[in-house]
Amino acid sequence: MTEYLYEKDLRPMKYNILTAPRQDRTVRAMAARLGVRVQVFRRHLIERLDMSNLENMPARWEAALAIPAGDDALAAALGCDLFVRKIAVFTPAEMEAAYKKARTLADGGATLDAAVEEGKKALREVIAP
Amino acid sequence: MKKTVDVAIPIGPVHPCWKEPVRIKCETRGEHVLSAEVEMGYMKKGIERIMRGRPWQEVMFLAERVCGICSVVHNMVFIEAMETISGITPPPRAAYLRVVANELDRMASHLIANFSYCYTIEHETLGMYLLNEREHVLDMLERLTGNRVNTAYMIPGGVRYDLRPADEKIIRETLDLLDTNLTRYAKMFETGPMIALRSKGVGILTKDQALEAHAVGPTARASGIAVDCRSNHPTYRAIGFSPIVRDEGDNYARIMVRFEELKQSIGLIRRSLAMMPDGPIRGGGICKGGEVRYSGEAPRGELTYFVKADRYGRVEEIAIQTPSIMNIDACTHYMLKGVTSIADVTSTFISSDPCIACNER
Repeated sequence: MTEYLYEKDLRPMKYNILTAPRQDRTVRAMAARLGVRVQVFRRHLIERLDMSNLENMPARWEAALAIPAGDDALAAALGCDLFVRKIAVFTPAEMEAAYKKARTLADGGATLDAAVEEGKKALREVIAP
Repeated sequence: MKKTVDVAIPIGPVHPCWKEPVRIKCETRGEHVLSAEVEMGYMKKGIERIMRGRPWQEVMFLAERVCGICSVVHNMVFIEAMETISGITPPPRAAYLRVVANELDRMASHLIANFSYCYTIEHETLGMYLLNEREHVLDMLERLTGNRVNTAYMIPGGVRYDLRPADEKIIRETLDLLDTNLTRYAKMFETGPMIALRSKGVGILTKDQALEAHAVGPTARASGIAVDCRSNHPTYRAIGFSPIVRDEGDNYARIMVRFEELKQSIGLIRRSLAMMPDGPIRGGGICKGGEVRYSGEAPRGELTYFVKADRYGRVEEIAIQTPSIMNIDACTHYMLKGVTSIADVTSTFISSDPCIACNER
C-alpha cells in the first residue's frame, strides 16, 4: 500500500494477532506445509496481510481445507488456490512461477513429490530471499 | 508491479458514521476504489488472555463484555459450550426463555445496524424511527432479564429469572406494536427511490466471494448462502426455523435481510411464548473439564467459542471467533474493491454491520 505521512507501525499488533492460540496453530500448520521456519513465515505474513486478513486466517484455513482438492494433484499439493485466493500468502505471479517450475520437472519425468518440492523451494525463496 | 493510484484516502479511525474506531485505507483512481486495507488496534481488550486460568463463573461475565450490542449471545454460547462439556441439559422452559432473550438481543442489534446504515446514507428520519423501536426491544429485554445490556441471564442448567405473566402480556403487546411499525419502516426502505440509488448494486459481494471470505450471518445470507447456526439448535428446530436468504449481495439486500429477520424474530418469540411449558427454570448441574468447539448464531453471524476447561471448570484455553472477523474481511477485500464512489465506502462498510469490539476482543 501507499505510504502515509502519519503511518503507524502495525507490526507489534499484527504479531499479537498471529500469536493468539488459533492463529498460532494455523501459522505453524502453514509453515510446516511450506517447509519454512515459523518466525520467518510470521514476518512474511505481517508484511503481506492486513489485520483483518490475519484475524480471519484460521477460519479461512479451516474452510479451505474442507473443500475437496481439484483434479490437478500438483496444484493441490502446492496449494495454488489455497495460498493465493483463500489466504493471500503469495501473489498470483509468484505462485504461477513456482507452479511452472514444478510442472516442467513433473513433465520431464520426475515424481510428484520431487516436483512439489521444487515448487515449494521457489515459494520458500519468496518468503526468505 | 507498482499500482497506479491517484489518491490514497484514509477513512477513520474516528468517523461520525462509525460506532467504533477503525481505519480503512483506500487506494483510488478518481472516485473508483482499487483496493482497501483495514487497520485496527484502537480498542484491543485482550479479553481471551484475561479469561485464561479463571473459573467459568468469572468467564461467563467476561464473555458478555466482548460486545455490548450482542452481549446475550456471547453469554449463551459460552454457557452452552460449558453445558456441552459437562453434559448438562437445561429444562424445557429455560430453553425457550433463552430463545426469547436471544431473539430480543438480535432485534436490538439489527435495529442499530439498520439505523447506522440509514444514518450513513443521510436518511436520518428512518434511522431515528428505528432507534426509537430499539428502545421498546431493550425495555422487553429488561423485563425478562433485569438489565438492558450485560444481562448475565443464562447460567449452566438454566436461566436466572422466570418470565412473570404480567411481563409476558406486556411483551406480547409490544411485539404487536413492533410488528406494525417495522412493516411500515421496511416498506419505507424497500420503496424509497433515494435509498435505492445509494443501496442497490453498491458494495456487491457475490456468492463465490462470500464463500471464499467465509462470510457469515446476514452478510452471507444476502449473498445467497443459506447458513444459520439456528438451523442446528434443538430449541429452534422444535420451534420451526428456516434462514432468510436473498441473492442480490448488495447493500440493499443486506439491510433488507435484517428487516426480514426482525419480523422473523418477532414470530420466533411469539412461538416460544406459546410453546413454553410450565416448570422449573434451573435444572442444576456441575461444570466439568473437557474441550469443545461450540457455535451459535449471533446477530452478525456464526459465533464460535473454543473452550478447554480443567476438571474444576476452570478455563485453561479459550479462543473466540466472532462473526465480524469474517465479515470485515469480506467487506474490505471484496465489497469495497470496485466501489465507484468514495461516498459509498462508509455505507458499504456499515452495511456489513462491522463490530470492532467483537473483532478486537
